[in-house]
Amino acid sequence: MNDKKQAGMPARRIRYNSWIGQLARSPLYAMTIGAIAANRRARLIVLIAVPLAWIAFFNLGPILQMANISFMANYPVMDGDAANYTLAQYKLFFAEPLYFVPFIRSIIFSLIVTASTLIVVYPVAYYIGKVIRPASRNKALLLLLTPFWAGEIIRVFSVIMLLANRGAVNALLRELGFIDRPIPMLYTYFSLGFGVVYLIALYMLLPLYSSIEKIPNSLLDAASDLGAGPFQRFRRVILPLSRDGIISGCSLVFLTAVGVFAAPLLLGGPNTVIFPEIIAQLFHGSNDKWPAGAAFSIIMLIFSLATVGLFMRVVGGKNVRLM
Amino acid sequence: MTFLIPTRRSTLKLMASGAGLLAAPSIIRPARAADSVLNITTYDKFLPQDFIDQFQRDTGIEIRIRLTDDQGKQYNLLAAEGADPTTDIVTVAGHRISQFLASDLLQPLDTDKIANWGNLAKPYQGAPQLTTDGKVYGVPLLAGFEGMVRNTDYTKASDSWELMFDPEYKGMTTYIISDFLSITMKYLGYDGDYVEYVGKPEEAQAATNAARDFLIEHKDMVRKYYDGASEVQQMLVNEDVYVAQSWSGAASKLIMDGFPVELSIPKEGTYGFLYSFNLVKNAPNPEAAYKFFGALLANPDVGAAMVRQSGFASAFAGVDALLSDRERAAIALPEEQIARIQFFAEVNRDMKNEMIDKAVAEIKAA
Repeated sequence: MNDKKQAGMPARRIRYNSWIGQLARSPLYAMTIGAIAANRRARLIVLIAVPLAWIAFFNLGPILQMANISFMANYPVMDGDAANYTLAQYKLFFAEPLYFVPFIRSIIFSLIVTASTLIVVYPVAYYIGKVIRPASRNKALLLLLTPFWAGEIIRVFSVIMLLANRGAVNALLRELGFIDRPIPMLYTYFSLGFGVVYLIALYMLLPLYSSIEKIPNSLLDAASDLGAGPFQRFRRVILPLSRDGIISGCSLVFLTAVGVFAAPLLLGGPNTVIFPEIIAQLFHGSNDKWPAGAAFSIIMLIFSLATVGLFMRVVGGKNVRLM
Repeated sequence: MTFLIPTRRSTLKLMASGAGLLAAPSIIRPARAADSVLNITTYDKFLPQDFIDQFQRDTGIEIRIRLTDDQGKQYNLLAAEGADPTTDIVTVAGHRISQFLASDLLQPLDTDKIANWGNLAKPYQGAPQLTTDGKVYGVPLLAGFEGMVRNTDYTKASDSWELMFDPEYKGMTTYIISDFLSITMKYLGYDGDYVEYVGKPEEAQAATNAARDFLIEHKDMVRKYYDGASEVQQMLVNEDVYVAQSWSGAASKLIMDGFPVELSIPKEGTYGFLYSFNLVKNAPNPEAAYKFFGALLANPDVGAAMVRQSGFASAFAGVDALLSDRERAAIALPEEQIARIQFFAEVNRDMKNEMIDKAVAEIKAA
């Protein structure tokens, strides 16, 4: 081994006999980059450092800054002024039904959306994962994923074009003679729920498909051989084995639904105001309300994570953790 | 699961790439502070693209537009940037300028440095709405007002805001809550601009509460609370609503496009506002901004294009003659209606904003 290394040395010297070679042979290089490159653990740390730094700066950083602002009495702090810290914004949330009611409404709305998405998407995921031929699965998935290549706002507007008084659904019903006057479907809880389920169905579809597709067909055949009907097969075999997909999908959908903003703004009506709208109003309002908006955002974040954590623990058992 | 074992070569490549990425900001010159760039925060469809292209060709200055749709957002972003703003010019509505000035976010204009300053229309020369302590803080652009819009195919004519509360149009009206709250105060006989309530917070709160309760009581009239001009246009076009409170620009644009809507100023009156381009304090490119202001005022064609795009009335002289009859009709109203416009004042803004913001949240949550 050493002989081979020695034999290779002259060739290397010829190849790196420039300033790069001199640099590579310098003690400084040996102590820094050379030391890292020669050590497997150090190489791993360097590789992990970049994504970790990215997450720290661009994901955790803004959240920590938001938490910092939430304790400030005023923000932005003007030049020359000192930041005063207070708990007033958090007290405001619990003191004012004005903010508390939309918060509760948001949570209930998100739970309903999560359940609806699961009910709507589960059969689709099962159909793709188990019913259609394996060769066609990717095509079917691609067809379902195509709308998600468009932006969220574009998809929201497509829902508006569908459900408006002069939209496609009303036009079709009128053409078929079912209605004389348009049915007001837009700006209601129906349009909001429909729109949000459509927007975030992907987060449910992929984990469900992934877990259902992995269920061995031999187990289903065995259940049939033992006399299980379709419903019993679903309840005793498919549902328990797709539990991981349900947990992942529901967690993702719930967290997304709690924070969804554009859809309620564009599809909701006067009685469907939910918490993210209240938060946005605090940030965009006439006066300095950033600390209140930040505090409410932190409250919502903590509550959402706690809810998902609880759900995972209850449904997923002891071995499942949120983080 | 396979795990990619990093080799010496791949690690070195990654480190080199990382070093390059980290060094990039100092290698690439920050464009926002370059002489050949002008950063403008403005509303959609305020600046004609033809004018932007021409200005860039003539001066070599690149214009970068950051769109806004709300004065509050614009203020908050500018305030957050503090002494190191990333924008040179903002678009402030007249009634909000005092807030920007109080936070020391704008700098006075040296009008001698603005070529063609005299090309402003007579009412705006000297820019009284933009003058504070003898200093001018903006170039007047467009004037507008809060109007009542109705679909002429489905609604009866009316010269009162009463139409917004007519049970016949239940679930077929829309408004911006904060704007319509002021109008409702006016409709109920209060001062929706809070000028009368300087030093009288209890009286102001009572008036605000009365309007708030009235709107909550009539919440079933509302199809949707909207935020931006495009939303009300879309709802009127889709026939989702028949009656609306709307900025005049959005309604005029629909009239220009031939939709069956009528814009009017009801007998109870309304509020007007003036948009201006304002130079940000510590703007990175002030000289480019002055060149831009001069070019903007050089030709009434620019003003006419702005009217066509935004639907608001221009503050530039000579624009009227360049508009077609239909365009002129869309932005022109009978004189007795024009007389009902009360321009938003600059006094008592903090009280007004505080009370209205809270009332808006209460109406939404009701």
